[in-house]
Amino acid sequence: MTAIAAERYTGASIKRSEDPRILTGAGRYVDDVKLPGMLHAAFVRSPMAHARVLSVDASAARALPGVVAVLTGADLEAMTVPGPDALMALMGWKGPTPQFTLLATDKVRLVGDPVAVVIAGSRYLAEDGCELVEVDYDDLPPVMDAAVALDPGSPPLFANLGDNIARTHSRHEFGDVAATFANADRVLDFHIDVHRHQNVPMEGRGCVASYDAGSGVMTMYAATQSVHVTRIAVAMRLGMEQDKVRVLAGDIGGSFGLKIGASREELAVAAASRQVGRPVKWVEDRGENLTVSGQAREESFDVRAAVGDDGALLGLDVKMVVDTGSYPGMGAMVPDIMEAMLPGPYKLAALGFESTGAITNKASYVAYRGPWASETFVRERVLNLIAKDLGLDPVEIRLRNVAPRTDPPAVMITGRPLAGVTSRESLERVAQLVDFPAFRQRQAEARAHGRYLGIGVATFIEAAPGPRSPEGPSGPMGMESMRLRLTEDGIVVLFTGQMPHGQSHQTTLAQIAADEFGVPFEQVRVVVGDSDVVPFGLTGGSRSATMTGGVALHGARQLKAKVLDFAAHLMEASAQDLLITDGNVWVRGDPASAIAVSEVARRAASGQSEAGADARLEVEATFDGGEGGWSGGTHCAIVDVDIETGIVKVERYVAAEDCGALINPAVVEGQIRGGIAQGIGAVLLERSAYGEDGSFQSATFMDYLMPTACDVPRIEIEHLETVPLDADVNFRGVGEGGMIVAPPTVVNAIEDALSPFGVRIYEQHLPPARILELIAAAAPGQLTGGFAAGGRGTGVARRR
Amino acid sequence: MADITLRVNGATRTGSPEARKTLADFLRDDLNLTGTHVGCEHGVCGACTVILDGRAVRSCLMLAVQAAGREVTTIEGLAPDGEHGGHEGLGTLQQAMWDSHSFQCGFCTPGFVMQATAFLGDHPDADEQQIREALSGNICRCTGYQSIIDGVLLAAQRNRTLRNREPLSEERP
Repeated sequence: MTAIAAERYTGASIKRSEDPRILTGAGRYVDDVKLPGMLHAAFVRSPMAHARVLSVDASAARALPGVVAVLTGADLEAMTVPGPDALMALMGWKGPTPQFTLLATDKVRLVGDPVAVVIAGSRYLAEDGCELVEVDYDDLPPVMDAAVALDPGSPPLFANLGDNIARTHSRHEFGDVAATFANADRVLDFHIDVHRHQNVPMEGRGCVASYDAGSGVMTMYAATQSVHVTRIAVAMRLGMEQDKVRVLAGDIGGSFGLKIGASREELAVAAASRQVGRPVKWVEDRGENLTVSGQAREESFDVRAAVGDDGALLGLDVKMVVDTGSYPGMGAMVPDIMEAMLPGPYKLAALGFESTGAITNKASYVAYRGPWASETFVRERVLNLIAKDLGLDPVEIRLRNVAPRTDPPAVMITGRPLAGVTSRESLERVAQLVDFPAFRQRQAEARAHGRYLGIGVATFIEAAPGPRSPEGPSGPMGMESMRLRLTEDGIVVLFTGQMPHGQSHQTTLAQIAADEFGVPFEQVRVVVGDSDVVPFGLTGGSRSATMTGGVALHGARQLKAKVLDFAAHLMEASAQDLLITDGNVWVRGDPASAIAVSEVARRAASGQSEAGADARLEVEATFDGGEGGWSGGTHCAIVDVDIETGIVKVERYVAAEDCGALINPAVVEGQIRGGIAQGIGAVLLERSAYGEDGSFQSATFMDYLMPTACDVPRIEIEHLETVPLDADVNFRGVGEGGMIVAPPTVVNAIEDALSPFGVRIYEQHLPPARILELIAAAAPGQLTGGFAAGGRGTGVARRR
Repeated sequence: MADITLRVNGATRTGSPEARKTLADFLRDDLNLTGTHVGCEHGVCGACTVILDGRAVRSCLMLAVQAAGREVTTIEGLAPDGEHGGHEGLGTLQQAMWDSHSFQCGFCTPGFVMQATAFLGDHPDADEQQIREALSGNICRCTGYQSIIDGVLLAAQRNRTLRNREPLSEERP
């Protein structure tokens, strides 16, 4: 690799070391793994949303040449261990716990529920086999709506629960909710819905499981956000000791929360490999990915807001229902995070929060980039609705409500201190970048010509990792570990449990370690993706910037101290007088004394070290997040709504973001833009749609519409780096913010565009047809053009 | 099974795929060219794009037997070239994409690279809007596209610079 010249790598847009392989087709994704004797799996899947399985006849499939085995739900049940969802168990879930099998046994619970797995010589043959498996179903009424699910009369999906409650109703109050509402100038009520949409990484789920009967070791080549969580999940379900499961991962084609642990299908493939004694590959196709891999959101909120006439948001009282889909996933757990985060950066005096989770015959709720994002959607929507009622500007109402930055910091009513939060600064910066008075003038002129422009603003904060808490590490997922070693080639090797799937860790962690240790960037190697080699870890929750960036910094510092201690013996100098720069150790003031770090490592490995010198040039470092802190920012969108067609074009998008110190600005901006693109898609295009009969209606990319290069505008990003909290580590996570705040930003802009019609928006999904419905409902008779009258421009002309 | 002969990345290759086997699966499974990725199997996402007789096509929508006697270029067949390429096995477009931080997870990358290669070949002076439209049949879930568009624009600009210089060195036999 060509050497990169930089004074300091950290903070520079160093080109990614991942890219040469990715750009030449030399990346290694799970579907690229080929093992000798490898077989292929395909699943027989339910066409019904809810039905009893009366019988499964696999005899014809088993007789098909090329088919090696067909395993039914009962077969799999006999060769695996029952238990809860591994991820929920790891996260300490104590609520309702449905008992489920890897493949359906007694009944199917969603369209696409796996009923049997066919193992054959090729994927083509395995799918042929699936066609020959005869399954007899007896229809049950599908439960397709949370309200229906929560009705005690609804048929329970899981026999051991007896009802369809995934999360038992709870209510918590922070501050004096009753008094806050009693004393408010006005109390406003809203019902807000967030629709079901999903991760859709370009590479779906998949694995190659290879069981070796001799050693009893299961090797899983996985597409996962954590080789260790996958290892635990496999060991739990297959009844194996964890050390007998080795999980390997190479390049991963995106995830956004989908690929944590091991899915039912992946566990079934592992069990199948153990059963047939050969490697088995399964890579889901797009239909499987859209139908059953998992979906997210679909939450509804009854919101009461206590408001002062000056625009002060005094309190919120929120009743949330989450549709968790069928099998256990993250849905039952997200309300806890939403409750904690709902106050955002604002000085709410009171919050009441109720939540319930409903089990329905839809795909399981999985984590999707900013899983708690709906709290920001609700809050930022409510602020705009209040601003409209009071005739306040959207920036002004936020500035009035943002908690001031004080020392000690203001504390969210739900408990966490708002240390270093720069929401006010980001709002002010957006107001500078976007000339609001000029926009209002342009908007008025455009309206006079029948063109509807709108502007929207929304603010968010993200606990990435979150402020330091007295009880333990900052952030929700504990300490981060890393092993670091100096090799005899002079390479600083970082072993991390992070499992990058687009986040560029091989580059960013090397930048930090190279600076701290004192070697060129190319002399740092980042090792990921082998559960036998890397420490525990998980890529998710916007965690890696602070937690892994931090442990890379401190670990490199510790390793350097060790190397200098050894070199001090070698060079007969005091360690305090030694420096490492550009890969050489030298005595301060004496450049001629320089020896390469590789030479130091060779001498250490030779065993000829001086007495008392520790020659093991390796450290195990941990990091607790230091002082931690928040990421956050304010986004602004300008949209152009065509009231004839309902098509919304995002004309301009500005993001003022604060993720602390930037490790690699190009990587940070890629994360922000990618999240915004998903947010734009969620509002304008994407919806995981079900029919009332439980049929799944968006199983292809012709039905589940993804944003393209023509839908996402050039995004302007402004970085704020205002408040360092920690002596060393002020990098903060930036993975999820774009997806968290883009939906309310875009919806706020659309509502502003449609304000001449009196449109108020209480939902998130606004495809063209819905835009036309909203206009028609808000202003009946005003808009008779468009599709109805067929005449272009007639609606506006008549209205005026 | 049908015996076929075709040219892949400049070499003659033979195979006996089943009639129903897609070109994408043939390239990946039979020829071990796993750089071509399969993202949707129904021709929408563009991850499987290869160049067939000079045109970008979806290898998931085509049968291997239909490629008999034809010339296929996959991501593995792009040669390092030009003053701005040549490093790490990269051509000018790939180098510009590296310089522009075009990609994240990399799964859609081969499709974008092949689509943009074919497009720039035909439209060396394309502007941003034309490039956006030309790439709107390829889906990327990570980047929001801007960095990809920037990479293609940079490659076009570098190609233009080279082209403008070429008359000086054109006096070859």
